[in-house]
Amino acid sequence: MSIGLGHCLLLAAMLFSIGLYGALAKRNIIAILMGIELMLNAVNINFVAFNRFTVVSDLTGQLMTVFAITVGVAEVAIGVALAYRIYNDRLTINVDELDNMKG
Amino acid sequence: MNEMISTLVFYAMAMVILGTALGVVMSRNLVHSALLMTACFIGVGMLFFYLDADFLGAMEFMLYSGGVAILVVMGVMLTKRHDGPPGNPFNNNTILALGGAGLFVLVMIGVVISTPVPAGGYVSPDTVNELADMMLNRYILPFEIAATLLLAALVGAIILAKGDGEA
Repeated sequence: MSIGLGHCLLLAAMLFSIGLYGALAKRNIIAILMGIELMLNAVNINFVAFNRFTVVSDLTGQLMTVFAITVGVAEVAIGVALAYRIYNDRLTINVDELDNMKG
Repeated sequence: MNEMISTLVFYAMAMVILGTALGVVMSRNLVHSALLMTACFIGVGMLFFYLDADFLGAMEFMLYSGGVAILVVMGVMLTKRHDGPPGNPFNNNTILALGGAGLFVLVMIGVVISTPVPAGGYVSPDTVNELADMMLNRYILPFEIAATLLLAALVGAIILAKGDGEA
C-alpha cells in the first residue's frame, strides 16, 4: 500500500496532539514554547502534504509553509526574550506562579 | 519493490518524528527535551524531502534544527535557577490536557478516514525557481509583510531582553 495524503495527515494530527499536550500540561515557559513549535511543524507537514497529493497546479502550499516557518521563528525569538525578561524580573518561569493579574 | 521501500521509509520517519516528540513532552530534563526537539525537526525535514519539497527540507534543517534549537537551548541556559539539570515538571491540568489532546486526535482520525479526497498531485522539477517566481510576483504582498514582521520581531526581542532603562 503506497503512502498517500491520509498517512501524512494522520502523522501530522498525532504530532499536533503531542504538541498540544505539551503546551497545555507543562509548567515551564520554555517547555510550552517547545510544544508550540511541535504544533507549528505539524501544520507545515499538512501544507506540504496537501500540495503534494491533491489537485493543484503550483506550489502555493509550499509557499505558505515558507511564511508559516517565518512566523514560527519570529514567535520563538519573542518567546525566549519574554521568558528571559520574566525570569529577570521575578526569578521564576513557572507559569503557575505568574498570577498577579488574578482577581 | 520500490513502493515497499518507500512505504518503509515513511514509517521509519513517522516513528522518528512521533517518538522524539513524545520524548520532548515526557522527558524529565529540559536539556534532553531540547535535544529531542532538534531530532524531531530533523525528522520533519526528512519528511519534506520525501514529499518532494527539497527547498523546504533545507529550510527546516537550517531554521528549525539550527536556529530554533539554539534559541531554545539559550533560553534554557538563561532561565536556570538551581545547580543540576533544569527540570521539566507537569502542572495540575495533566488529565484535562491529555483528554483534550486525545479527543483531538480521535476526531482528526475520524475526519481523515471519512473524507474522500480527489487523487492528484503536483511535483515541481525546480522548487527554488518556482517558489521565487511566486514569491516575487503574485505573492509579493505577503512577502513584504513577512519582512516587516521579522523587523518588528527583531526590534521587539532586543527591547524585551534589554529591559526598561538598562543601557
